Amino acid sequence: MRLFVLFALIAGLFAGAVRAEDLAAGISRDKIEITSSFTGTEVVVFGTIEDDLGRSLPATEMRDVVVVVRSEKPYIVTVRKKERLGPIWVNRDMRQFAGVPGFYFLSSTRPLKDIARGDTLEQFELGLERIALGPAPGAIGGPKEFREAIVRQKKAGRLYSQHEGGVSFLSGSLFRSTVALPPNVPAGNLKVQVFVFSRGEVTSTNTMTLFIDKGGIERDLSELAENEPALYGLAAVILAALAGVAAYFAFREWL
Amino acid sequence: MEIYLPIAEMPVNIFLIVALGTAVGFLSGMFGVGGGFILTPFLMFWGVPPPVAVATQSTQIVASSVSSVLSHWRKGNVDFKMGGVLLGGGLVGSLLGIQLFNALKAAGQADLFIALSYVIFLGSIGGLMFWESLQAVRAGGSQVGGRRREPGGHYWVHGWPLKMRFQRSKLYISAIPPVLLGLLIGVLSVIMGVGGGFILVPAMIYLLRMPTSVVVGTSLFQILFVAAFSTMLHAITNQSVDAILALLLIAGGVIGAQLGVRYGERLRSDWMRLCLAGLILMICLRLGIDLVFTPADPFNLVIEGVE
Repeated sequence: MRLFVLFALIAGLFAGAVRAEDLAAGISRDKIEITSSFTGTEVVVFGTIEDDLGRSLPATEMRDVVVVVRSEKPYIVTVRKKERLGPIWVNRDMRQFAGVPGFYFLSSTRPLKDIARGDTLEQFELGLERIALGPAPGAIGGPKEFREAIVRQKKAGRLYSQHEGGVSFLSGSLFRSTVALPPNVPAGNLKVQVFVFSRGEVTSTNTMTLFIDKGGIERDLSELAENEPALYGLAAVILAALAGVAAYFAFREWL
Repeated sequence: MEIYLPIAEMPVNIFLIVALGTAVGFLSGMFGVGGGFILTPFLMFWGVPPPVAVATQSTQIVASSVSSVLSHWRKGNVDFKMGGVLLGGGLVGSLLGIQLFNALKAAGQADLFIALSYVIFLGSIGGLMFWESLQAVRAGGSQVGGRRREPGGHYWVHGWPLKMRFQRSKLYISAIPPVLLGLLIGVLSVIMGVGGGFILVPAMIYLLRMPTSVVVGTSLFQILFVAAFSTMLHAITNQSVDAILALLLIAGGVIGAQLGVRYGERLRSDWMRLCLAGLILMICLRLGIDLVFTPADPFNLVIEGVE
């Protein structure tokens, strides 16, 4: 993909259509700790686009910006479809997908279809319907509806979202976009990508990492669950039993 | 007030979960069922991932059943011998259940089989129980077996060999029926993913003819071990037991269980059977509706893991 960007840049330069530009971007926080009081949060992605001399680009050279925030490590997801069998509904067909991000957020200055052609957007997986969800290794491809079901349900769960018009320019060169992270955002690093478009072509990109990790007791517990599963399970059973015993003694006197 | 769950990876309302735990604990202490079949759908409805919901409810069942078994035990209402025999059968049953489950899965019919067996079992048990207890309530209350309605009904199982004396249940019967019953519950709990209390309780009342007061405590004694085993299994294979969620459910569950035991003993046996039958029929209805009605979204997603 990097090669493609380079190619696009060079092609742009040779065509003489695009002026040289300089993209600098940042995020308001690059580390989010999920503790017991976590109920979602917001980060701001911002940046400037200037020419190589550090000046704002002229109004005739307005750029489009697309910000994508997505999980670094994708999931493997099984999608089952219920079908009618006589009077009842049962799971019949299933497909397995790889490359399913747990979280995907996109915001852009304008509707994507006005920013670039479909195949260009496809190349960078820009837009909910263009996330590259392929069949898992060894799985067969299937009707589009399975893939659409993933996007639809993740969208309903607030994990996928697309905000065309969510990136705004504060001046000729300074842009910003607010990224809302829902309370159920999966723990794990997010990749923050900024794409700058000019006349339908990508002219600059910038990739950053937003570290999301559990903190405090949340981290201790999930690490224990993962590293010492037998101990964790045993502790859960013993504590549960002790709670039962405690309640018995507490209530023996009262009731 | 919200708290973040480390394994489910989402926040929940503390009071809502404690209240849910209390309600389920109450039903558990009163009727001798685990309550997972109520708890799991509720947790899933609030967005808890299904594996976490299934695993964590079993931890709460350990707590609430310990709490109520102790109370029942103090009143001499736990037949440990019967519970042990049922458990022995259950152990073999769950091993058989795993085989059957895998065979069904290989045939691609697991979902259909599970859905149908749920509805058929719950519907027929709940329906028969409802009918019987309604008659008993109308007749002014009676223990099952105190006055038999139909000749040749269930007593044939009592004539089998390998007789054992179950003092608490005031029974001198063959060990084979309880072992077979345990076996069936074991198979079902593996396939259906539930403790099986709502099948065990009616079976002990109607098939084994145990006194209702002993049935509840003995069922909970058996469920306690199934739930402990299932918690361990989920913790080890899926790491899906959420300690914080379990803690909240337990806090409500153990208190609810105590209250359930108290109210349960004030409830007349025929009314208790009628209420349990109503509960079973309600669950059956809900499952039946899910099966028959066109789903809002026919697709369902399962995250298999990180690539």
